[in-house]
Amino acid sequence: MADFKSATAGSLTLTRPCVKCRAQEATLDSRSQAVCRDCFTKFISAKCIKQIGILGKETRPPPSTTNGPPTGTRRYLLGLSFGVSSTVLLHLLNDNVEFQLARGRSAPFELTVIHIDDTPDNQTDHDHPSPSSTAAASEIILAQYRARYPRFTFHSVPLSSALANDPLEPSSSSSSSSSSSLPPPPRLKEAAATTPTAAITMSNTMSTTTTAASRSDLERQLTRRALLAQARARRCQALLLGHSTTALAETALAEAAKGRGFAVPWLVGDGAAPSTSPPLEGGEEGAGGGGVNNEDAGAGVVLVYHPLRDALRKELVTYAGLVDPPLTDLIDGGVQDSKNGGSPRAAAGAAVVSHKDLSIEEVMRRYFAEVEENYPSVVANVARTTGKLVRAGEGAVDGERCGLCGMPLDKDGDERWRGELGIQERTGTGPGFGNRLCYGCERSTAG
Amino acid sequence: MAPVLCANCKTERALIKRPKNHAKLCKACFITVFEDEVHHTITSSQLFYPGEKVAIGASGGKDSTVLASVLKTLNERHGYGLELVLLSIDEGIKGYRDDSLETVKRNAVQYDMPLTVVGYDELYGWTMDQVVETIGKKGNCTYCGVFRRQALDRGAKMLGIKHVVTGHNADDVAETVLMNLLRGDLARLSRSTSIVTGDDQSEVKRSKPLKYSYEKEIVLYAHHKKLDYFSTECIYSPEAFRGSARGLIKQLERVRPTAILDIVRSGEDMARLVPGDSPSSCACKGQNTASSAPVEDDIGGCGSSSGRTPGNEMAAMDKQLRENEAHEELEIDVAKAMSERKLNGSEKQRDLPIRNGNSASKGVARQVRGNCKRCGYMSSQDICQACMLLEGLNKNRAQIQI
Repeated sequence: MADFKSATAGSLTLTRPCVKCRAQEATLDSRSQAVCRDCFTKFISAKCIKQIGILGKETRPPPSTTNGPPTGTRRYLLGLSFGVSSTVLLHLLNDNVEFQLARGRSAPFELTVIHIDDTPDNQTDHDHPSPSSTAAASEIILAQYRARYPRFTFHSVPLSSALANDPLEPSSSSSSSSSSSLPPPPRLKEAAATTPTAAITMSNTMSTTTTAASRSDLERQLTRRALLAQARARRCQALLLGHSTTALAETALAEAAKGRGFAVPWLVGDGAAPSTSPPLEGGEEGAGGGGVNNEDAGAGVVLVYHPLRDALRKELVTYAGLVDPPLTDLIDGGVQDSKNGGSPRAAAGAAVVSHKDLSIEEVMRRYFAEVEENYPSVVANVARTTGKLVRAGEGAVDGERCGLCGMPLDKDGDERWRGELGIQERTGTGPGFGNRLCYGCERSTAG
Repeated sequence: MAPVLCANCKTERALIKRPKNHAKLCKACFITVFEDEVHHTITSSQLFYPGEKVAIGASGGKDSTVLASVLKTLNERHGYGLELVLLSIDEGIKGYRDDSLETVKRNAVQYDMPLTVVGYDELYGWTMDQVVETIGKKGNCTYCGVFRRQALDRGAKMLGIKHVVTGHNADDVAETVLMNLLRGDLARLSRSTSIVTGDDQSEVKRSKPLKYSYEKEIVLYAHHKKLDYFSTECIYSPEAFRGSARGLIKQLERVRPTAILDIVRSGEDMARLVPGDSPSSCACKGQNTASSAPVEDDIGGCGSSSGRTPGNEMAAMDKQLRENEAHEELEIDVAKAMSERKLNGSEKQRDLPIRNGNSASKGVARQVRGNCKRCGYMSSQDICQACMLLEGLNKNRAQIQI
């Protein structure tokens, strides 16, 4: 009762005061509370800052090369899909840096933003290294991002770089056309020459996968792989992904539905990514936290964090519209499709009729959109509990990880599964990834 | 256009496109392949030993009818040396069980297997129709499931049989995996995926030989073998989480037929990843809504595939979780903050956050098997779930009578 009185007394002129500040008119509903615009944006921002703070503790600045006191800053890499979630994350990170600078502190981290260009045209054209029209399109969108966030560096990298020996090569060639920062001299021929196997492998893989589900799955795995390769090549300590609570819950169930249950804890939780280089003697055991500081081990260990893990997708969509000027101008190059937070091109096929054109991810996205609307806490619970699963195969070396997605192989599971189902091992059809594939990748490369 | 030949024998015309992998097979090859796969499951998991007496939980529906038929065939073909009997439960649902029990009786003759029928009324003093009358149409699947599970075990015990096989198929297992993921119930996830539950020490062990068989293939098998089964779904609706998971499975199967088996595989793998002291959803205080479902492995509610009730269970769990969140915000978890500081270097530890002090101290590692104090049935609690439910029902009945 007293609570009610004070509320009315403090806000006589308001018809529906914000339950948090009681000073402004509530215009939004946030987790069944009526709040004002300012409190809502603060709420979302706080969710992100909290996670960034946790990450900051994990990634203390690397020691200087001259054995002096640590002088460097943290280096993060942000994966930008041009979708809602990653754009909101970019915006919040920028806010965070500006806030620190305004208080006279140094920037808390350096950020490189990478867009993985997975447009199919770009893939097929990669043999002929003329900048394709779609690659140019992503550069145009990227230019808008650069203009709005001049503090950070942006690059567009083709998906095929996931399989390249030197992930920086193709990226420098493709971004040289319009990169505002000093571009390396164009070396298109050499760039193409260093990655022919990757390009061929890629196009082979993509053409042999006939179903939308498999294509979408492989794109997802390769995008992640490409981002991690960029993070390693650019000596970043952490890869930041824009996944919302909803996206994490979707990931958990979608990966389970694709037979990747073993990898779910790696994909949904925060922490070190499975390293690609063979472990350096001794250094790898404690690599989870402490090893990151080590410059040598740093090349192999990249943390993957999801700073927006505590915000629902619908909240991020709302947030994107509240920022001034709205982020909706940027997202997907200004194309309005607020529903899709993950990959912008999946939204293009919103009017899909045939099930054959749907991906597993798309089914999950639709399903969780419904659950999120009615039972938001159930969504959050899925993301939270699946993140608690144990990460098996943490110290796996090269031969023990999938040649495609890079996740540890589940030998026990494979053995038992073959035994119980009598499945014949696929022979001679490996699409050239060298190593063995995990169950999920075998599924998707089989067509 | 030349007719497509069977991918297996390459002589007959292919008539069947396998739902599992879209292989085109002739009728005979399909039946053989289906049986061979079940045989493989049985041998690789070493489900039976020669001379074992096995009760088939028979409902008269497609799954259990196919199971009975396949087991009879395989038992004769491969000389398992099993003594097979049919065991049926009469839940007391008018218009559902009456007819299906007739089917089971015919099956008993067709397969030359002895049949025993156990009624809910003899076992519990309640028929399902009476239960529904008392508690309404929502949430009664919990009662039915708990009662049935015990009924099968008690029936088997009566017959001196220690092994009951049930007709749960791959779709059922996949559904349970997704349902437990949705519920955030890791403890149950790890229990629900195994092909055998219970072991030599427990009085009655259970297994599901059709665990890797697609529901659609079971229907096809029944159709082509011209099996006599009863196809009416339970008239009461499934609980919301299960219904929701079921709808999702069907959509996934349409997009990618292998998804069902892939989920089963994922479920088995994830079961091995459940942290030892997993704080299951029921570890926290007062969460009686979501965890009131059967504590024991509760795979496959009942045969119904209709009815996606936007259920109260989901809403109740959502509400409960939201309240927990609100409370958590007011709490400062000193233990966690300290352990975090201590374990800063060790990534593995950090990923298994302790929810709060109370779940940690409880340490619900693995359930300890004991016996129910009322009925003597094996139970991890003092009083088994069936007796708990019965107590609630009997209270209500008393009130109504007054």
